[in-house]
Amino acid sequence: MAMHIVVAAKQVLDPEGVNSYALWGRLTVDETQRSFTVGDVIPRIINAYDEQAMEAALRIRDSGVDCRITALTVGGGAATDVLKRCLAMGAEDAVHVDDTESDRADGFRTAALLAAAVRKMGDVDLVLCGRQGSDYDQGTVPGVLAELLDAALVTVAADVRATEDGVQVVRVTPQGLETVEATLPAVVSVSNEIGVARAPSARGMLDARRKKPAVYDSAELLTGAGGGVEVVRVFVPDVQGHCEMIEGDTPAERASRLLDALAKAGVLGGH
Amino acid sequence: MATDVLVVATEASNDGLARAATEAIGAGARLAGALGGELWVLAPAGVAASEAAELGAGRVYTYAPGAEVLSTVTEAAQLSSSRIIVVNRGAIGLDVAARLAARLSGGCVLGVTDVIVQGDDIEAIAAIYGGAARAQFRFVNAGPRVISLAPGAGEPPARQQGRTTEVVHIEAAGDARVRVMEPAKAAEGPRLEDAAVVVSGGRGLRDGENYGLIRELAGALGGMPGASRAIVDDGWAKPAEQVGLTGKIVTPDVYFAAGISGASQHMAGCSNARAIVAINTDATAPIFRYAHFGIVGDCLELLPELIRVAKERAASG
Ligand SMILES: Cc1cc2nc3c(=O)[nH]c(=O)nc-3n(C[C@H](O)[C@H](O)[C@H](O)COP(=O)(O)OP(=O)(O)OC[C@H]3O[C@@H](n4cnc5c(N)ncnc54)[C@H](O)[C@@H]3O)c2cc1C
Ligand SMILES: Nc1ncnc2c1ncn2[C@@H]1O[C@H](COP(=O)(O)O)[C@@H](O)[C@H]1O
Repeated sequence: MAMHIVVAAKQVLDPEGVNSYALWGRLTVDETQRSFTVGDVIPRIINAYDEQAMEAALRIRDSGVDCRITALTVGGGAATDVLKRCLAMGAEDAVHVDDTESDRADGFRTAALLAAAVRKMGDVDLVLCGRQGSDYDQGTVPGVLAELLDAALVTVAADVRATEDGVQVVRVTPQGLETVEATLPAVVSVSNEIGVARAPSARGMLDARRKKPAVYDSAELLTGAGGGVEVVRVFVPDVQGHCEMIEGDTPAERASRLLDALAKAGVLGGH
Repeated sequence: MATDVLVVATEASNDGLARAATEAIGAGARLAGALGGELWVLAPAGVAASEAAELGAGRVYTYAPGAEVLSTVTEAAQLSSSRIIVVNRGAIGLDVAARLAARLSGGCVLGVTDVIVQGDDIEAIAAIYGGAARAQFRFVNAGPRVISLAPGAGEPPARQQGRTTEVVHIEAAGDARVRVMEPAKAAEGPRLEDAAVVVSGGRGLRDGENYGLIRELAGALGGMPGASRAIVDDGWAKPAEQVGLTGKIVTPDVYFAAGISGASQHMAGCSNARAIVAINTDATAPIFRYAHFGIVGDCLELLPELIRVAKERAASG
């Protein structure tokens, strides 16, 4: 039977956009204190790690494994854009868990919805996630999801392969690369070390337009609370800068003045 | 009601606890103090465990290196019935913290820069969008509040030489579902994380070959080379050299950023350096907001001069 891979993909505000708004002092907070006012100006994109999780799924298929890939997202109506992206890249199916809860900060609630959706699909062998959302940088969903599905968990993958009866994953650890094998069902979170995700082909984009994601209702999936944390407020920290500029007529002069200044500040070799 | 705090201090070597672990113990001690509770520490048996005692742990839970971490931590959490669990930063954050919280019906926040004590509970402020912003989280369940700290968010406590304390050894069952086939080869030689001088380069180097200047200056200053993710993605530098949110967290005395714009995701890895030096052609580059010393100029002109002067001084040193 074909291996059924689910790719969990999240829509996020483009982190580069948030970054530049923050740097230029234009990242302001709305009256709820819980979200940014730039929500409509900064584009919403597929979380880059999730695009790489999709890439990992496609590489498993490219390696000759008979598999079916379903893209899965939890979010409001606009979140279906990430499903279109995955379909265009080569997913067969897509499932949209329609959840109006605008804020995706509670990974526990999201994981509960994802777990329920995966259970509803019934035959899932492998769930590929991104290592973390580039919005809240939490990375809690893969772990909670594994726990709820009683599945094996492998985080921060640089390479994912299907074996006879499981997956072989190369993980990025602070000590270097580590190879592990996990039994199925498994949740694997993918990191940027896997490499750049392929762009959708023209053909893929055409195909994707014809496909309609299945819609699951969040209220039906989630009985009970399932939440773990809640955002009270968001804000932009002050970056206090006081930078001593090193001047000089020539690069040579500035180089030696810089090293003098560092020695004087006691941060560079006493000589 | 007193609220006890368990610190999970797994980042350690044969020489003892790593900075990530001692920072977590410092933060845990502060919280236990504020909440009138006890400080428990889970650490690998051996030197690290004795160090945890010297750093003020009321009781130390130990485990054999190589034991499965999630079940070990779960058992320590249950034995100590701690309401607050501080997990040291590192790989264990993504691997264990959230699963632990789910298992014990609690909540979890990673990348915590600050903890606010409110009555007998806490709220956690975490870095979001790579550090460009912050979110303050509250916990909605009754179970443990599991947090993991951002670099520099805790101050290691003073060490009381020779202090000992009660030790409870934990022997947890392993997880047969994940098997290590080939462990990471412990990197040989010095580690970027421990370097006193780090010289990093970014896209401003213009060409992969110019990364050689970064290596040479690092060598001349007795430090190590680092890189922005942009040039790691371009293949100019090695993944192990990446500094930042998803790279290495470095805390050198001096950090050189040559041709690096200063995106928050990069600064997340180096903002705790004692001094940051920025070299950038663009006077409005964000890096100058974080830097202590700055040169507006072409790094391809400045790096060779810095190498020359550094070598001269080392020779006459
Ligand atoms: C989820 C996520 C995680 C990320 N994680 C990381 C991470 O861990 N580490 C990381 O570094 N980045 C990370 N990034 C990427 C980060 O946002 C930036 O894109 C990246 O750091 C930019 O690299 P750079 O500064 O080298 O390049 P650029 O942003 O292109 O900047 C180049 C700079 O060089 C200057 N310059 C040009 N020519 C010269 C010259 N001749 N001399 C001097 N200066 C010159 C320019 O003025 C510019 O400021 C992450 C991004 C995301 C979304
Ligand atoms: N709303 C969501 N829909 C689908 N997948 C998600 C969602 N939120 C998180 N994930 C998955 O979980 C990973 C980690 O996200 P997070 O825990 O939010 O940082 C993401 O990279 C996705 O793969």
